[in-house]
Amino acid sequence: MSPGRPAAPHRGAPLPHSMQRPRLGLAALIATSLLSACGDSLDARSILRVNGSTTVNPIAAEAAEVLRDELGVEIHVDTQGGSSGGIALLGEGRIDIGMSSKPLTDEDRRRYPDARFVAHRVGEDAVALVVSADVWNGGVRSLSRESMRGIYEGRITDWSEVGGPEQRIVFFNKEPGRGTWEVFADWLYGDADDAPSVSFPEVGGNEETRNKVGGTRGAMAPLSYAWADGKEVFALALETRDGVITPTPESIGSSDYPMSRPLFLITDGDPVGDVKAFIDFVGSPLGRDIVRRHGYLPSPAVTPGE
Amino acid sequence: MTALARRRRPRLTRTFSIAATALAVLTLAGMAVLFAAQSLPVWQHAGLSYLTGTEWFYRDESFGVASMLYGTIAVACVAVGLAAPIGIGAAVATSELLPPHVRVAVKGAIELLAGIPSVVFGLLGVLFLRGFVYDGLDAGGFDPLSGDTLLTAGVLLAVMILPTVMTLSDDALRAVPDTQRKAARGLGLTRVEVVVRVVLPQAARGLVSAVLLALGRALGETIAVYLVVGRRDNQFPESLLTLRPIVEPGQTLSSKLGGSEASVAWGDPLHWGAIVGLAVVLLALVTTVTLVGTALARGGVRDAR
Repeated sequence: MSPGRPAAPHRGAPLPHSMQRPRLGLAALIATSLLSACGDSLDARSILRVNGSTTVNPIAAEAAEVLRDELGVEIHVDTQGGSSGGIALLGEGRIDIGMSSKPLTDEDRRRYPDARFVAHRVGEDAVALVVSADVWNGGVRSLSRESMRGIYEGRITDWSEVGGPEQRIVFFNKEPGRGTWEVFADWLYGDADDAPSVSFPEVGGNEETRNKVGGTRGAMAPLSYAWADGKEVFALALETRDGVITPTPESIGSSDYPMSRPLFLITDGDPVGDVKAFIDFVGSPLGRDIVRRHGYLPSPAVTPGE
Repeated sequence: MTALARRRRPRLTRTFSIAATALAVLTLAGMAVLFAAQSLPVWQHAGLSYLTGTEWFYRDESFGVASMLYGTIAVACVAVGLAAPIGIGAAVATSELLPPHVRVAVKGAIELLAGIPSVVFGLLGVLFLRGFVYDGLDAGGFDPLSGDTLLTAGVLLAVMILPTVMTLSDDALRAVPDTQRKAARGLGLTRVEVVVRVVLPQAARGLVSAVLLALGRALGETIAVYLVVGRRDNQFPESLLTLRPIVEPGQTLSSKLGGSEASVAWGDPLHWGAIVGLAVVLLALVTTVTLVGTALARGGVRDAR
């Protein structure tokens, strides 16, 4: 830990030549590092930044791939913080398009008074209650709202209480701020704000939810319907007054299935330039194909406002 | 070089060094002050119950960090409990028992581990460790909820801090002068006895310091812990002696800070203050551990001389 150091030059004697050159090198190093710190901002203007919900992400990511070559502009699609994260970043002016799987609220508009949010509806999705294979194969194919409330509030703790096998219910709640959770809580309690405060293990995006539910016995979580592949996780039907409704493209499109939600691309003000091109593309027939291909329903038309 | 230039050179270096140091210290102090100021609302709202309360329900405006403190400490204890014996053992091997060329290779390999980004560990934990812990706990009769537990996070952290413990312990052991070892051998002690009776006791301070410094890293590690800890709030055991909470999902200070609640909290002074308060607590914890660890390290070297 203490290697021998080369002998320091005797105080008062001139620096040997070999020690003078490193000073130039040091100056060059400092100058380069300071200059490189300025480099980033030069590129920022030609990048289109899209961020937000993991549900809308597959659509935006594929649209970005197509448009990158057509428009010749860099498009960055990311999913930081889900729907709320996208709205927050857009409100702070740090991105160009926000992705959200829940409608904008007055709270959102109030929090960012300087931003004028314009929501463009690009598709429909449903939130399904997905369970792991052992629960599905054990006979649980549907759930009522009352039973779900019982599970959420901790009153029902075993699948045998709702017609399933003897297995502890492992409910994975969605992180705060996730669009999926808001839709789920709205259905369960009429208004997400009325949902009681609970402590369950949490999951974040759709990918993590599917992985964790698929890999845990007795697991259940709210998940975007398009991600319920029927192999790792299975979507339950909902028992309502009108009967048992299975989530299918038909029942979602006709709004028979209660937990359907619109998918939005949100801009600050009316879109112009590259942003407008992106939004228009997602609403075009090619874009609607992309929406369909990822398991969602395309909206009748891309209309602003909601 | 003129005599004048020779006199100016040391002064320039001194000025530059002092300026750099001042910048570093001011940044740290500024950060601490900023955090303390931004967390003010939650201290006014909850007072000391912020630190002692076990319930965190942000929608009910009830903020208590005790459950997260428990999670942080539990995960850190598991990590240190696994990494310290293995790391110190490895250090004993590399500094005392292995031949020099093997030592260099082993030390290099372990230090490579230290360079791996945390998120890679987190993903490996999700891919392999979670399933392993889930099946293991199930086989052991613990009836686990899932593979995301405080134990999983602790094991993952142990792997991450192992290189730090090993390198610093190796340094502490090598700081013990060779004359001690030679004298012990001269008195007839075996190699193992030399290590256990002479070297380890002398290096004890340095070893404790190594563990504490690694603990400092473990306390703040976010991404890896976030991915495998389960993130279930309000897990505070009725009795601190039960091991049950370790095999259940939990929440630590860093996993809460790394989660999405921070983005939800932005804009609401009380909620944001509560989140920043978590950062203040974590900062205080890590600073204390690091200061104690560094102080011990310095003391150790002085004693050995």
